[in-house]
Amino acid sequence: MDCENVMTVTIKRPAPAAAPPKAKSPLRYRLSSWDLKFSPYLYISPFFLLFALVGLFPLVYTFWVSLHDWHLLKGQGEFIGLGNFATVLQDRFFWNSLGNTMSIFLLSAIPQLIGALFIAAVLDQNLRAKTFWRMSVLLPYVVTPVAVAMIFTNMFGEEQGLINNVLGNFGIDPVNWRTDTLPSHIAIATMVNWRWTGYNALILLAAMQAVPRDIYESAAIDGAGAFRRFFSITLPSIRPTMIFVIITSTIGGLQIFAEPRLFDPTDPGGPQRNFQTTVLYLWEMGFQRNNFGKASAIAWLLFLLIVIIGIVNFSISKRIASADSKKPTNRAQRRAEGKRK
Amino acid sequence: MSILEKNTAGNKTSAPSRPGRPFRQRIFGNGLKPGYLTYGLLLAFFLGSAYPLWWSVVVGSRTNEALGLDWPPLLPGGNFWTNVGEVFDTIPFWTALGNSILISTIITVSVVTFSTLAGYAFAKLKFRGNGVLMVAVVATMAIPTQLGIIPLFMVMRTFGWTGEIGAVIIPTLVTAFGVFFMRQYLVDVIPDELIESARMDGANMIRTFWHVALPAAKPAMAILSLFTFMMAWTDFLWPLLVLNADNPTLQTALSQLQSSRYVDYSVVLTGAALATIPLLVLFVLAGKQLISGIMQGAVKG
Amino acid sequence: MKNFRYPTAAIAGAAAVALLAVGCGGGDQEAASADNPIELSITTFGTFGYDDLYAEYEAANPGIDIKPNNIDRGENARTEAFTKLSAGSGLSDVVAIEEGWLGSIMEVSDQFVDLNEYGAEDIKDNWVDWKYKQGTDPDGRVIGYGTDIGPQGLCYNGKLFEAAGLPSDREAVAELFGGDDATWDKYFEIGQQYHDKTGLAWYDQSGFVWNSMVNQMDEGYYTADGELNIEDNDAMKKQFMQLAAGTEAGLSANEKKWDWGKGKAFTDGSFATFVCPGWMLGTIQTQMESAGAGAEAGWDFADVFPGGASNWGGAFLSVPETSEHPEEAAKLAAWLTAPEQQVKQSAAANNFPSTVAAQEQLAEEATPNELFNNAPTGAILASRAEGVTAQFKGPEDSVIQDKVFSAALGQLDAGSADGEASWNEAMKLLNELVVNN
Repeated sequence: MDCENVMTVTIKRPAPAAAPPKAKSPLRYRLSSWDLKFSPYLYISPFFLLFALVGLFPLVYTFWVSLHDWHLLKGQGEFIGLGNFATVLQDRFFWNSLGNTMSIFLLSAIPQLIGALFIAAVLDQNLRAKTFWRMSVLLPYVVTPVAVAMIFTNMFGEEQGLINNVLGNFGIDPVNWRTDTLPSHIAIATMVNWRWTGYNALILLAAMQAVPRDIYESAAIDGAGAFRRFFSITLPSIRPTMIFVIITSTIGGLQIFAEPRLFDPTDPGGPQRNFQTTVLYLWEMGFQRNNFGKASAIAWLLFLLIVIIGIVNFSISKRIASADSKKPTNRAQRRAEGKRK
Repeated sequence: MSILEKNTAGNKTSAPSRPGRPFRQRIFGNGLKPGYLTYGLLLAFFLGSAYPLWWSVVVGSRTNEALGLDWPPLLPGGNFWTNVGEVFDTIPFWTALGNSILISTIITVSVVTFSTLAGYAFAKLKFRGNGVLMVAVVATMAIPTQLGIIPLFMVMRTFGWTGEIGAVIIPTLVTAFGVFFMRQYLVDVIPDELIESARMDGANMIRTFWHVALPAAKPAMAILSLFTFMMAWTDFLWPLLVLNADNPTLQTALSQLQSSRYVDYSVVLTGAALATIPLLVLFVLAGKQLISGIMQGAVKG
Repeated sequence: MKNFRYPTAAIAGAAAVALLAVGCGGGDQEAASADNPIELSITTFGTFGYDDLYAEYEAANPGIDIKPNNIDRGENARTEAFTKLSAGSGLSDVVAIEEGWLGSIMEVSDQFVDLNEYGAEDIKDNWVDWKYKQGTDPDGRVIGYGTDIGPQGLCYNGKLFEAAGLPSDREAVAELFGGDDATWDKYFEIGQQYHDKTGLAWYDQSGFVWNSMVNQMDEGYYTADGELNIEDNDAMKKQFMQLAAGTEAGLSANEKKWDWGKGKAFTDGSFATFVCPGWMLGTIQTQMESAGAGAEAGWDFADVFPGGASNWGGAFLSVPETSEHPEEAAKLAAWLTAPEQQVKQSAAANNFPSTVAAQEQLAEEATPNELFNNAPTGAILASRAEGVTAQFKGPEDSVIQDKVFSAALGQLDAGSADGEASWNEAMKLLNELVVNN
């Protein structure tokens, strides 16, 4: 998650606390001091205990499994060290799945960001029926990925699909949405984009609304047109939020499963694996090819990839955020705060 | 980025009224007062959002032939109830709905409770290891749940929990994100002095939590609830692995519908439309809260 | 197998034996009754045609409530079965197994109930010999009752044949392809003529033709003693190259199998012939219904098959050890696969029964099949079943068919690989997905 990024901007040091209250009797004092000392651990322990059980243990155990020949039914086999990793790294389908994941991710992240910016800019006006318009762009968010996949899979049908039918009316040849690589990526990215663009637009809208109106007004008085105002005031002001949106969609994009799984219910990722994503390949390896050892290796490699991308994201956004704090956001924020008081 | 903070500021400053401002452009507006173009675009967004859903209702109330038409039909046909009957015959819809509600509710209650507790401790209490443990929480947010499916699957198998909805609930009883989210919120919202004065008055820690932290945390808890509920409701991969056809969630039941009614496309679309109704109702009732949740939380569930 | 004089009487007899057999099945479990209702789940795949039979069984057995679950394809049913097997729960009380992945099920046959405990021995003569043997594991445990078998005939589109100046009458068509001596050479030769004349494709895609070819060999992907038998199998490669030559010449329509443009490809002249094991007739029926088409599409069914007798597919009903009602489940499986019910199943799903008496009855009745220009499909299939023998299926047979060759032939169909490249791709996939998995 992008929380690293969020944290850099948001976390504030709590003000130093006053000394603990003086106790009246030694027993009460001792009780109270235990209370003070151990309560925090009590409060955080459910999380850490449960997390150790359902988060950490699986991660570590996945690594253990990945060091073995391990069959879905036959169970644990020989210890083979990093053999599974070596095989997976030489496996063309693994690289294929990474390439597909990246391509689908780019096809969804970029249009999504541009679309969300555009929608947010349109929403960021003195609208009548504001809530209605906001709800209307959020509507797709309540359709679950499974339902989205089912609806769009039919729309993108190669024969008798809504989109090819309509294209046919304009004399355009049917597109092989499922069998050709790029069209299949576009189809899946469309599902993702349809569901998430409005959602991201609202996040960006929140950031845009924090930009004080008087900046726009003075810019307008100085003769800056709407586009100029958007590019020189709005965009710089909401940059941290944009990074936030990019990072969340990265994390989501790397884990996409339901859409490609249901887009071709027969062959996971298409007969030629042209839209098989990494999580889908992980699933195929574990539950179709029954090879838990290699599936675990894929899981770990995907995890490392997410960590690496997370670190890259973190450092980039840190740089941008710190550069930003000298620019309009800060000013905007200060002004906004000034207004609040 | 403190969206939370910024937004409260933004809400105060938005919607300024500028009486007497000259009426400049009917079509384009001027950025302060939107014109027809703006509403035209908004209408286009609305149609783009609603059309796929509407289309699935239209085709779902007809037969397969509706898919073959050159121009898609715009109005529903008369086959809706027949198709609904087919859906109910094919998948245990009500069981699935009940399971989804139960699973999502339990996960939501658990996540919100534990996140609030831990988030409060991290935000407002001094204890050794606070910083390090918080970093641990943040770091674990990067771990995608899908990576644990293989060992989790083996665990469920060992304990014989596969097929039970508990197998879906257990792995998501806590989320690192929830803890982080609550901490971020509470750190600003509760003044330290308030806690101190409660302690001065002799309140013990749990009373302080109950009377000071909890009331303050309510708005954030509501937002976290919404996101957690959505996350649990939409989950697909894990329930697909551990649940069975006769005891599914709504999502896995839906995919089962696609697989068994693979040639009855209109029935599949009826199912997709039906399965959307529960969240749609929630959306109509609580859409405003959801929007403000997203805008304040600026988080992706 | 063709010696019964009075098929109906034979069926009645066999059914009586079956009932008797399940009646005496051991176990001290209380039988289901209206007061003691039992829920039996059953998972099938593709077009099984069981819906009416479930209702009939429920009516005849108060207290039994059947929960059916159907999965689109055998391949997906296999994944589901193995996931549930490994999860240790979640399998239905009765599970349909496809011949292609029976080999992998045999590796874990102890997870399935030995139907001998429920009277399999007494009804064993119902089935054609080889089918019953297929369902028996090396230890002699019977883990599946045969439902149907997949003898292959040739589906062809009479209208398209006529338009191309070919004979369209089904006897003449059988003659055209060489009757009892039909060869693949002849099939491709006529296909070439058809293509040259019309510019249209001859078959829907290469994968199914290939499956038919392989299923027809004495030994397929495995030798009879269970060794992989592909890489240095010259006969197999030669056959592959023959298919590749046809496809490269434009005989394949490159349709997406199991989808066929939502059934439309069967109605718009995309291809003129189709390899048809019995159960495929049911698949075609479903696809045509989905496309809103019927008999007017022009399909017919000829009593001929290139290269001689071939059996592709067929299924079994098994009872997993995890079933809570093994006795009731075995009883249901026995009933569903008894000759009388197989005849009804065949009427509903157009597939071909695996019990002798049911086959006899279909042959005898020769009921015209409206969808296939009134061809007596049952009788034709009975004739096509003559000479069919069981081919040994190894543990990865279905993977080799559906993941290895299907993918490689897909490239051939799409024109992105020639015959040699496609074969090499298959060998590469074989190594990746099977040998070194």
